[in-house]
Amino acid sequence: MEEQFDPVIVAFVCNWCTYTASDLAGTSRLGYPKNIRLIRVMCTGMVDTQYIFKAFLEGVDGVLVSGCHPGDCHYINGNFKARRRMKLLKTILPQFGIAENRLRLTWIGASDGIAFAETMQRLVDQIRELGPNPARLQNVI
Amino acid sequence: MAAESMSKKQGSAMVVGGGISGMRAALDLAETGYHVTLIEEASHIGGVVSQLDHQFPTDGCGICKMLPHADAEHVLQQCVRRGLSHENVTICLQTRVMSVSGEPGNFTVTLQQHPNPVDPERCIGCGLCIPVCPVDVADPFNAGKAACKAIGPPTPHMAAGPYRIDTEACTQCGKCREVCPTNAIRLPEADRKSFTILVVDDEQIIRDSLSEWLGEEGGFSVITAESGEKALEVLEKKPVDLMLIDIKMPGMDGITLLEKALEIREQMAVMMITAYATVDTAVSAMKRGAADYLVKPFDPEELLPKIAAMYHELTLPPGPEIRVGAIVIAGGTDEYNPASGKNPFGYKIIEDVVTGPAFERMLSSVGPTGGRLVRLSDQRPLRRIAWILCVGSRDVQAEADYCSGVCCMYSLKQARLAQKAARQQGAKIETVLYYMDMRTFGKSGQQYRDAAEAEGAVCRRSRVHSIVSEETSGDLCIRSADTSGQIREDRYDLAVLATGQRPSAKVTELAEMLGIASDPRGFINTREFSLTQTSGNGVLAAGSCTGRKDISDAVICGSSAAFHASRLLHAGGGNLLEQSAPAESAADIFREPPRVFTAVCGCSGAVSGIFDPETFSGKCCGDPSLYSVETADWLCTDEGLADLAENIRQSGANRVVIGACRPLCVPEKKKALARAVSLLPELIEIVDLRSQVPAASEEIPEQQKADTRETMNFRLEMAISRVKLADPAFAPNIATGQSVLVVGGGIAGMTAALGVADHGYGAYLVERADRLGGNLNWLHQTIEGDDIARLAEQTRSRVENHPMITIYTNTQVTETRGTGGAFRSTLQTGDEAAFSVEHGAAILATGGGQAETEAFGRGTDARIITQQELESRIRENNLDPEQINSMCMILCAGTRQPPKNYCSRICCATALKHALHVKEKNPEAGVYVLYRDMMAYGFLEAWFTRARKAGVIFIAYTPETAPEVSAQQDAVRITAMEPVLQREVEISADLLVLATGIEPAECGALARSFGADTDAHGFLREAEPKWQPVESLAPGVYACGIGLRPASIAESVASAEAAAQQAVIRLGRNHQPAPKNIARVRHSLCSLCQSCIAACAYGARKYDPESRMIIVDPEACRGCGACASACPNFAAYLEGFAPGRMLSMLAAAADH
Ligand code: FES
Repeated sequence: MEEQFDPVIVAFVCNWCTYTASDLAGTSRLGYPKNIRLIRVMCTGMVDTQYIFKAFLEGVDGVLVSGCHPGDCHYINGNFKARRRMKLLKTILPQFGIAENRLRLTWIGASDGIAFAETMQRLVDQIRELGPNPARLQNVI
Repeated sequence: MAAESMSKKQGSAMVVGGGISGMRAALDLAETGYHVTLIEEASHIGGVVSQLDHQFPTDGCGICKMLPHADAEHVLQQCVRRGLSHENVTICLQTRVMSVSGEPGNFTVTLQQHPNPVDPERCIGCGLCIPVCPVDVADPFNAGKAACKAIGPPTPHMAAGPYRIDTEACTQCGKCREVCPTNAIRLPEADRKSFTILVVDDEQIIRDSLSEWLGEEGGFSVITAESGEKALEVLEKKPVDLMLIDIKMPGMDGITLLEKALEIREQMAVMMITAYATVDTAVSAMKRGAADYLVKPFDPEELLPKIAAMYHELTLPPGPEIRVGAIVIAGGTDEYNPASGKNPFGYKIIEDVVTGPAFERMLSSVGPTGGRLVRLSDQRPLRRIAWILCVGSRDVQAEADYCSGVCCMYSLKQARLAQKAARQQGAKIETVLYYMDMRTFGKSGQQYRDAAEAEGAVCRRSRVHSIVSEETSGDLCIRSADTSGQIREDRYDLAVLATGQRPSAKVTELAEMLGIASDPRGFINTREFSLTQTSGNGVLAAGSCTGRKDISDAVICGSSAAFHASRLLHAGGGNLLEQSAPAESAADIFREPPRVFTAVCGCSGAVSGIFDPETFSGKCCGDPSLYSVETADWLCTDEGLADLAENIRQSGANRVVIGACRPLCVPEKKKALARAVSLLPELIEIVDLRSQVPAASEEIPEQQKADTRETMNFRLEMAISRVKLADPAFAPNIATGQSVLVVGGGIAGMTAALGVADHGYGAYLVERADRLGGNLNWLHQTIEGDDIARLAEQTRSRVENHPMITIYTNTQVTETRGTGGAFRSTLQTGDEAAFSVEHGAAILATGGGQAETEAFGRGTDARIITQQELESRIRENNLDPEQINSMCMILCAGTRQPPKNYCSRICCATALKHALHVKEKNPEAGVYVLYRDMMAYGFLEAWFTRARKAGVIFIAYTPETAPEVSAQQDAVRITAMEPVLQREVEISADLLVLATGIEPAECGALARSFGADTDAHGFLREAEPKWQPVESLAPGVYACGIGLRPASIAESVASAEAAAQQAVIRLGRNHQPAPKNIARVRHSLCSLCQSCIAACAYGARKYDPESRMIIVDPEACRGCGACASACPNFAAYLEGFAPGRMLSMLAAAADH
């Protein structure tokens, strides 16, 4: 059998909602794929586009940014800032040879442990289908 | 260490009840600098709100917004549902108050703590015990709608542990103990054997079954006797702890035996066994010393927990004892049980009739249906849902002549959420609310209702008679009658009963113990014009125990109670705080290169097989800062941690990464370790290695092991890369001005000024008019008859004589500069020269007045007046009720519809007050009240009932059927649609009184000069309407009174007290270290583009023209990092998340 491609996905999760959900998923033994590498940030609004670029350039196969549902952000509107930024970034990414659907933005509330585990699994499957990040194979810039 | 040397005010307080208002009170007191013991009877904090995943008005969850922000070192910045942790708060769960003695300022309280057989220091939340537990319990957290085990996390959010055991349900089988990897479970099994129960019954079968249940299943020692005489013989010989006596026995009967037995053994507990027929006798036996009774035939499911509860009651040792200066009761209310009484809705009989709280759980993704909208009985998707409002409220027959205040709003919210869920599935859903009055009182209630109706919620003003369940279809058939008496029947899938409040028996008991007054219903009484001061000095009440509150009111009351407690402790000089241990100073490692000590807890073998220090350090061998990698053991124990600390100290490392389990991840442990190794806490990272593990792949344990290893390794690597770049600098101290500017001299402003002044800070009180008092100057009496003129007089004289208050009447604030901590405002009195004052905080109490309207003929005729004019006439004795033949009132004149689409909260009460005034003085007079929804919330309902009884005629109208007014020579004619008769009626009135509502005073420019803001209706805008209701978004600027939100006098006072307390907290931070985890600026990289200022939602960043730098207000910054991502130069960054650290973490994460 051909060895399955094991993507690496960096997930920027906000401290208040998605991090809590990931904790809930982890501690309620739902578990989630080991491919997900969580980076806890205080709010999705602090995720700088440079970090996302850096992640892709480091060869990460997918990047997830996940925070509180609209209206629930602990810091009023950080998630809206993130949404705007991600939308913009998605238009730029292809110019660097990175498919825009390698970047994902979701809202996962603190109680949504199950949703977290499911979303992660789905994400891994989708990124697996996309195959490895080309930046991993050749240096784009 | 700087952070520890801060001088705390002396004194401590106790808060009973860990719901929203209890937490708010505890946090406020803790932030003021007092020590707080927070007592909670349940096994988790959060109260009712912990069960609500969605809260109006955003329909999301915002409970975390109640946390004091930014400083992660003294309050854990995490979702509050996972637990609360504050340096100055000790939380005692499953604890209750046994006795209180002493006086205000110095109470001695004896507590009783229910022991948790699961050691919180050891439980790692691994979950192994849950599947082996054989006992299923109806999960109280899910309103009994889902099963859980007798062992497990108290709420789903606390899945990380520590677990708790439902000791009443637990059968002590010991299976959990066998599988627990950390030996965390200590079942007190042996003790039960030494607890002797004597069963006295003449029937063999009862004796046998009781010995089997209690002896074999329950684990108690059971002896039996077949008659009273035999029992007494046993008692002479053997000590017995609990005796069960059958009431009806041949020979000596149960009651005689009870008396004789208690003569022999005075201390023994006795429970009577009785048949239904003799329950009365059993009850009278309780007067003679029996503790309780059991009714035959027994249900073993109920029997054992009851005996177990009795056993705990008898064997629990009292203690610990604490000494506190003030007590805040925040015990909440009980929920009405709709199955009690006649039960016309078939609750508990029909499965698809649920209560509001149960439906709330059904909407939760961790609830019984996983958040899917399906019926519990047959999993059918919900397509038609009915809400029945006022179940157990506004019901004189159910002895509830009050409104529960929150049910209308939560029903609307649930209907909206159901609509939203259906929309997402592309389904159509019918949501109907059966109501009497839709009480959407307050600032945004009406808009919320409008939005709900626009989304498909149908509000049907009807009374529901009954609910029956159709045999075949399982449909619920609801019979209701509308206002005209028309009967209709509708079918639904689910009926939600919006159940009301009942006073909590535990609160009543506590009130008795403290000797404070409760009302006849059992709610705690408060003093006039106060929502939180009880009849007892030093004892405050917050939240729903004085009548149910919604979240914002609960938060305000919590702060107001904290304010009174704080003022008392302050006045007493506070002398009861245990001194915190003198802190060792942290080493200054500023110039040292990072040396990271890494240790992984072997977790008694569970991890050692997976993690290998050699390979790990090999993997990171390129990293010069990695100093050593070791495994340790039993880090969850004090000894284990002490050993580790010793190793770290000897190694000379200056940063630490530990991989361990949950018990080590609590901030106290981190702080203790930091102290022990003389490092700042931020130089230590503790990674919870056990909770976030990859999904199990059962088939291949080897694969699972490898996956786990990989996860552990990269998580440790990421932690190392984070900590090695941590900033070892000490935080600078904060400077803040020591006085407060209060704008507005009404009751709110005066109260706020007194509040800060009583805490020893200066207050400048600025009033536009020539006299303090605001609206109090024309108000007469409250509906309860409290004298408003006297309140005005007393408050004014206290303000005028307070040495810390400077009053400026006839004065306006013309300009303000500066920011939180250091404001300079220019004041102008009359035409005199302007002058300026410096202050650290500002409280805006700009108030408001009665709105004007042109509706309903206002301004065309002298007989058409407003409620204010009527009140003034009554106050000045200018109105003779005897002369009135007929008086008509129209409520909501010009409000609750655009452009003034809000409810003013007070007009309905005012109307009731005036209607009663006239009607009671002149019963012959016709008094008509035309209303839309009578907002007689809370205990005002009783006045509504009284007015109806007195003969006041109430006629409901809707905006579409608004009454018409024409002023004629002899009378004012009002034509209205009478909904009961379904035809037009005409009223000829001598006087038409319009309730026009509250309008805030124009304060937009003032608010903006402070960096605050107003909403569309001109009210001051809160930072967050529910969770930070008296804070503005501008740092150091608070708001209160009716300029903030419509409120009664007592409500205005409470908000003023809450605002004063927030200002006191802010001023009290002077000379203390600034929070560390906030945004900073690297000035060398900064291009002064000011994008960060635009990105900051809190106004924490400013351009300082003098130094030509961007500066951050450390108190205003909440540490979200929005500025950091907006900065194009990496000059703005968030402490703890500096770009270097983020990038190095990213590199570690991307490492394959
Ligand atoms: S805090 Fe969760 S997105 Fe802002």
